[in-house]
Amino acid sequence: MNDLLRTLVEPRHFALWERLLFPALAAASIYGFYWRFAPILRNIQRAKKDPGFHLFPIVKRVGDFVWEVALQSKVIRQRPLAGIAHASVFWAFCAFALVTLNHCAAVFGLGFLDPADRVGRYYFYFAAVFALACAVGILGLFVRRFLVQPKWLGELSWGSGVVALLIFALMVTYLAAFFVTGPAAAVHALWWAHTLALLAFLPIIPHTKHLHLVLGPFTVFFSRGSFAQIPPLAGDEDFGMVAGKDLTRIVSLQAYSCVECGRCMEHCPANNTGKELNPKEIVLGLRGYLNEFGPASEEPLLGKYASQQAVFQCTTCGACEFQCPVGIEHVPIMVGLRRGAVNTGAWEDDYGSKLFLALEKGSNALGMSATERDKFIEKNVLPIFDGTQEYCLWLGCMGAYDPQGREIVLAFARVMRYLGITFGVLRKEKCTGDAVRRLGNDLVFQQLAEANLETMAQNKVKKIVSICPHCVRTIQEDWKEYGAPPEVEHHSEFLARFASRLPSVQDRKKIVFHDPCYLGRYRNVYDEPRKAAALAGSLVEAPRSRERSFCCGAGGGLAFLGEEQGERVSHVRTAELTATGASVIAAACPFCNTMFRDALAARDDATPELLDIAQLVAQELPRESAN
Amino acid sequence: MKIVVAIKQVPDRDAPIRIASAGKWIEEADLQWAMNEPDAYALEEALQLKEKHGGEVVVVSAGPERVATTIREALAKGADRAIHIVADDLGSRDALGVARLLAAAIQPENPDLVLTGLQSEDMGLGQTGVILAELLRLPHSTLILHVEKTDAGLRVKRELEEGWFQSIEMPLPAVLTMQSGGNKLRYATLMGIKRAKTKELRAVNAAELGAGPAPVVVLEQITLPKKQKSTQILSGSPKEAATALVEKLKTEARVL
Repeated sequence: MNDLLRTLVEPRHFALWERLLFPALAAASIYGFYWRFAPILRNIQRAKKDPGFHLFPIVKRVGDFVWEVALQSKVIRQRPLAGIAHASVFWAFCAFALVTLNHCAAVFGLGFLDPADRVGRYYFYFAAVFALACAVGILGLFVRRFLVQPKWLGELSWGSGVVALLIFALMVTYLAAFFVTGPAAAVHALWWAHTLALLAFLPIIPHTKHLHLVLGPFTVFFSRGSFAQIPPLAGDEDFGMVAGKDLTRIVSLQAYSCVECGRCMEHCPANNTGKELNPKEIVLGLRGYLNEFGPASEEPLLGKYASQQAVFQCTTCGACEFQCPVGIEHVPIMVGLRRGAVNTGAWEDDYGSKLFLALEKGSNALGMSATERDKFIEKNVLPIFDGTQEYCLWLGCMGAYDPQGREIVLAFARVMRYLGITFGVLRKEKCTGDAVRRLGNDLVFQQLAEANLETMAQNKVKKIVSICPHCVRTIQEDWKEYGAPPEVEHHSEFLARFASRLPSVQDRKKIVFHDPCYLGRYRNVYDEPRKAAALAGSLVEAPRSRERSFCCGAGGGLAFLGEEQGERVSHVRTAELTATGASVIAAACPFCNTMFRDALAARDDATPELLDIAQLVAQELPRESAN
Repeated sequence: MKIVVAIKQVPDRDAPIRIASAGKWIEEADLQWAMNEPDAYALEEALQLKEKHGGEVVVVSAGPERVATTIREALAKGADRAIHIVADDLGSRDALGVARLLAAAIQPENPDLVLTGLQSEDMGLGQTGVILAELLRLPHSTLILHVEKTDAGLRVKRELEEGWFQSIEMPLPAVLTMQSGGNKLRYATLMGIKRAKTKELRAVNAAELGAGPAPVVVLEQITLPKKQKSTQILSGSPKEAATALVEKLKTEARVL
């Protein structure tokens, strides 16, 4: 039966000139690769070690590697069509590892896959399936890049075109070998065509974004370990990313891995609203810096290759980092560059200084007197936490000082009382330090984190619940640098857990839920707030929701900074939410809430109602339980 | 230009103030402390002058051990070195007594310019800087918003009443008391705090500077202000009420 099937025909005997020419060309090709790759590798190796980096738990790393690299999950999921085309190329390359090795070994008579042998034959067929998929895939990608031209791919590059043609040639010459069975000259010509395509491809890799073939898998494997993780500063001379000497191995590796696909800019709220910031350019800027100055340089990072203004336009929403298919972690880079500017005093901004000065001495980011919080607690008879209650209800700056934030706190307190769950608020609270952390002020952040951790210890707080995803994130992840924070959860998680005990309504008003960045992408909580909101009506989805949710514009301390360049992020998102036709916009973050409130006020049309999920739930409670 | 900035540590604005049992001073335990705001502006002005013209900024502060935190803050913001006059009895000293301490510490420095806040946020006497000038036998000017160095000396901008300003030329060396708000304050940085650790902070005992005579002004008693609200309901038609309100705003509240 096997004889009936065509099989791959490779030359069985090579002439002397072939046996001499191939190693010479191969050596030239490898040298061409190495000549450019060696300095890149040196720049990565010479960069400083990453403080706080742990290889363990390794199981998670292997798992992420299999999921993201081997299975191409992120590549496919976030851009299905181009993603599948890419995956078919990637998988073909994997399948071709053995084929190519055999192809080159054949010239020395060392071929190990014999077309006459059953195993060899099946492997060639196996590879042929991938080769076909790959040829179609690369053709599709070529059409996309050169004919469709989506704007995030940037300017057309000769490299991409040549690489696409070479990959196509590799696949076609491989497949053709199944059909060209003679004469010998034709078989040899085909072998050489495949070989030359291969040897031409290799040196192009380190010169172009195709370097991601080599580095991408390592970048994914050597990630910082969790989403948007901000590394600790090491030693007395580390102020964040000031100059080349502050670039770590991970940052350098990531800078060289960028594949320039532009998914980061496609999803960036700053880039989408006409601001200078383009996350792709930040990463490529670091690459340009490393190429020119190297990893030991004292030349400032913010200058020729990255602008300070752009870096301070980042809302730290993490859409870029979430989207990146090669595992670049943009948020630590943005925050690292801001740290470098703020910790050395290089960043001068009236609003920023005002925020920092307010938090150097005062207790809250809004710059109000702490007695305002005392008055709020007293007036609304919120119980003081004394260690006997189950939960410590963390108010946060918005919950304690902002009128709308206070409403959310009171609504949530009503729900807790209705459920008969005991809680108390702290007599004194300081800002968690979210805004200063992300703006890069480590001095003030440390003061706030330490003071709060001490309060937690003094009051023997075991479990915190908060209405603010920023507080939750900062307490749980960022405080770790200075001590062991108590267990903390967002009120959406609390509400979802008790949803079966809460009244739901029959009046099905349309509600659109906006995923806060710090709850969704940062905490992976998507269903819980929806479960809570669904008690009050039927949910509709915004075009960009869940992990693709579009920022409200407040994150990264930007809520406290001045006027935005270009369009306001909050206006864009509010228009999108309003266009769903929902009668209620449900928020789950007091910062989103305040941004949307202002944006809705600026709209002329009939605007939907804006409520927190806690307010939606509290509305349905029987009147008796209201205080 | 060598500039000395005299700084006072005062209770934080948000800190709950309690009167000590003797009724002569406040309860200092558990209180949060901060840099006196006009002094913070004096420091800022000094730092900006140094950035423009070079020289040195020396900070002087009198008070107990806790004052060191405020001194370090000043060093972190950019002052070059500091002198801490260790004195536990600041509350019982009058402005003359405090100025004597400061003058004794400043005199050997032989500065070109001495800056301090126009008054403290706790006692609010507004005298210390002026007396200090007298003791140092230097010309002085008060309520300064802005300082400019000229070839002959200084040109300073003074704040007068009702939005008026006065510009004065004066020689160096001089003593100036600074008003809040003339500049934008800088924020403290991690780098500043780290660098401050290596800067000189010299502690001098108040007794070493000469105790001086007994206070001229003796503090009898301090009390917390009584909270009082007085609400008046204006009767009559809206027009009459509005007329009465305007009259009151003009004559009683004097805001119109």
